[in-house]
Amino acid sequence: MDEQHQEDWLDRQLREAVSYIDDEGFTAQVLKRLPARRPGRRPLRAVILLGVTVLASAIAYFISGGGRFVSLNIERLAMLPVLWLFAIALGSGLLVTTLGLFAAISKTSDLQS
Amino acid sequence: MELTDADLVARVLVDDDQHAFGELVRRHQSSVRGLLRQLARSDFALADDLAQETFLRAYKNVRSFRGEARFSTWLYRIAYNCFREHARRRKELVGIDEEQLQSEHDPQVADPGLRYDLMHALSLLPLPERTAILLCCQNGLSHDEAARVLEIPLGTVKTNVLRGREKLKKMLTAWGPD
Repeated sequence: MDEQHQEDWLDRQLREAVSYIDDEGFTAQVLKRLPARRPGRRPLRAVILLGVTVLASAIAYFISGGGRFVSLNIERLAMLPVLWLFAIALGSGLLVTTLGLFAAISKTSDLQS
Repeated sequence: MELTDADLVARVLVDDDQHAFGELVRRHQSSVRGLLRQLARSDFALADDLAQETFLRAYKNVRSFRGEARFSTWLYRIAYNCFREHARRRKELVGIDEEQLQSEHDPQVADPGLRYDLMHALSLLPLPERTAILLCCQNGLSHDEAARVLEIPLGTVKTNVLRGREKLKKMLTAWGPD
């Protein structure tokens, strides 16, 4: 019997000797012993996000000359034909719905996996 | 879509998501417990205690996982450290439990006697050789990964694997291929 043959045999036996160990409550026990979730991290993130949004809005407001572009665009929209307004509203609605559905589906599949 | 280990680690880091950590435990519990059972010479209770300690430490130190190695390699390193600390504290390792080994018959292995002799032979190896064999030959780590887990030079891992294999071959001569 050659050396290589014997080594292959030994490696195979070593690999085959590994059997899957059923969980049998092991994971649950580990999770039970985990320290309590660190408090205050989610609220902190929300505060940061909200703060940045408010700050960015304020900067945009001052840079755009007191938000004048908003009233200008509302005036422009008001002068559009009704059919155009309807098309824009429908398009925006469909876009928001599609994005919302996509986000919901991806979140659900993440939770299930 | 199956989340990768890296995705789950990211969730633990960002959201402190314990469900994500639970999934990581579920995925790796078998290999970590298997390694510890063999390091602890089949003292299953001790191995499971050390495995729990391993995962608790992994959770507490998840920020130190930089993703340079596989998550399993990082876990093996923690598991090995837990075992080493325990062995140092106790200064003795528990002997092999023959009844437990015999009851753990694996249908994949043709001869349960061979599995028993293999496990027994492994348990007789000195710890450095046994650990190197378990990591490289049984759990599929490269020599380089094993060196990182054990925090020893690459050359030492190669020597330990070589010596361990030689001893195993000698001890299992009766079972060898024809």
